[in-house]
Amino acid sequence: MTPTVSASGLSLRFGGTQALDDVSLRLTSGVTGLLGPNGAGKTTLLRVLATAVPADRGAFTVLGYDPATAAGRQEVRRELGYLPQTPGFHPDFTAFEFVDYVAILKELTDRGARHREVRRVLDEVDLADVRGKRIKKLSGGMRQRVALAAALVGDPGFLVLDEPTVGLDPEQRMRFRELIAHAGEGRTVLLSTHQTEDVAMLCHRVLVMAGGRIRFDGTPAELTARAAGRVWSSTERDPGAKAGWRTGTGSFRNVGSPPDGAELLEPTLEDGYLLTLDDAGAEVAAA
Amino acid sequence: MTWHVDAEDLRAYAQGELAPPALWSADTHLVACAQCREVLASVGDPVDAGWERLDAELDAPRPGLFEGLLMRLGVADHTARLLAATPVLRRSWLGAVVAVLLMSIAAAHTTAAAPSPTLFLALAPLLPLAGVALSYGPALDPTYEMAVVAPMHGFKLLMVRTVAVLAAALGLSGLATLALPGYGLGALAWLLPALALTSTGLVLTARLGPVLAPSLVGGAWVALLLAAHAYDASDTLVPFTAAGQGVAAAVAALAGGLLFLVRDRFDRFQSVRFQGDAV
Repeated sequence: MTPTVSASGLSLRFGGTQALDDVSLRLTSGVTGLLGPNGAGKTTLLRVLATAVPADRGAFTVLGYDPATAAGRQEVRRELGYLPQTPGFHPDFTAFEFVDYVAILKELTDRGARHREVRRVLDEVDLADVRGKRIKKLSGGMRQRVALAAALVGDPGFLVLDEPTVGLDPEQRMRFRELIAHAGEGRTVLLSTHQTEDVAMLCHRVLVMAGGRIRFDGTPAELTARAAGRVWSSTERDPGAKAGWRTGTGSFRNVGSPPDGAELLEPTLEDGYLLTLDDAGAEVAAA
Repeated sequence: MTWHVDAEDLRAYAQGELAPPALWSADTHLVACAQCREVLASVGDPVDAGWERLDAELDAPRPGLFEGLLMRLGVADHTARLLAATPVLRRSWLGAVVAVLLMSIAAAHTTAAAPSPTLFLALAPLLPLAGVALSYGPALDPTYEMAVVAPMHGFKLLMVRTVAVLAAALGLSGLATLALPGYGLGALAWLLPALALTSTGLVLTARLGPVLAPSLVGGAWVALLLAAHAYDASDTLVPFTAAGQGVAAAVAALAGGLLFLVRDRFDRFQSVRFQGDAV
């Protein structure tokens, strides 16, 4: 399958932080999850791929366009939908006016065509009933959907979502997952998240970042399989475990290298993620 | 109904060629007038487009006071919306500008024996500099991050907002100048320094960011005035003399040229990190 995004050797340093360290990836149609702890470099990677920040080294293309040139960058932006980590709004705008404003930034200058597009995307995120409501009067979940609608203006081929489910209650999160899944049909979506449930429910592929590097690239099932035979149950927290916590049943769930005869448990995506981060930490410590 | 939409307007409406404000009138009228809707339905093939347009316009909000005024002045509706979103073009900022100007005019009238309205001339150039600084960048534009990655070039958006701020600030300062008729053309000596400071601030913004650059330029202006005052406090300060005006014009022209050369710097984030956010 031809990749929508193809990047090689992306590196970016600011101050004393190596935010990106030789990142290479290929993204194809569907939702790809980007997991990682705070400071892993997720937001920086998204900003580089969204053409907001240039990398110090390395190169990438989006749908064949090279953003290193001004013309290429503009073509990439025409194919880009971007939902930042903390989307800002003009609070006095209504939902319609705000999306209309973003549509103008996306070069939709014909009033009639633009308004039809604004209606389409607001319908798509199920906000038809609050089009005329001021953004400052909308709930957090609705504001996030307004921002997603703005990202969907122009039917972009590459959608970048930076932690869109943060701060949403479970019902809003589930609703948002439905929207992301729908948005991922026929386009490439890169979804940065802290929530392993988001990845398990939405993504055909997952990248794990730590210390500015890609530590894992594969399917959610492959990430889960990394923890096979490395999760066990015990009545007390096992001091040899990388991580361990008391579960609702009163027993401890441990992740790491189990002792002989341990009662092994079925691993989850989160177990695989924790072990990947632990392996990355050990690699950094050894280096 | 006491009136109906003109047949030519309906035809233009159906073809998507009717411009505001006639477009708004037609939209509003068609919602309530079955007779005009029938005429619209009979104007030929493009009628579907007309209905679609009407449908889309039904829930499009009416432009606000400022936006509507701009459109009535002939500004394209999309440009008017960009201007309406300029952070400093709000009542609070405009109110502050008016207050500063009124105070400086009052000061000029209380020192009527002075050869020039120094306080007014000193403050007026800082208003557009501050206004432009407050209109662009991650600190004060809530949509900055989305705007930077949009296809519209960041420099174009910056220029749209700069023109809006300049028009507002220079317009208000111009009105204030009329309140100082005793000083003649000397009361207009703020204009070229205003353009010089604003354009220099923008050029330096490309390198130093939207906070430090205008702060440095504003500080340099104040320092220059203090130095001129220390040099000769009895007469018109040097920046407001003919020679000073010439220098200001040269600086404005030079900075304008440099600004064009560095325009691509406004097409990316002004800093890799902002708002203390995540890596």
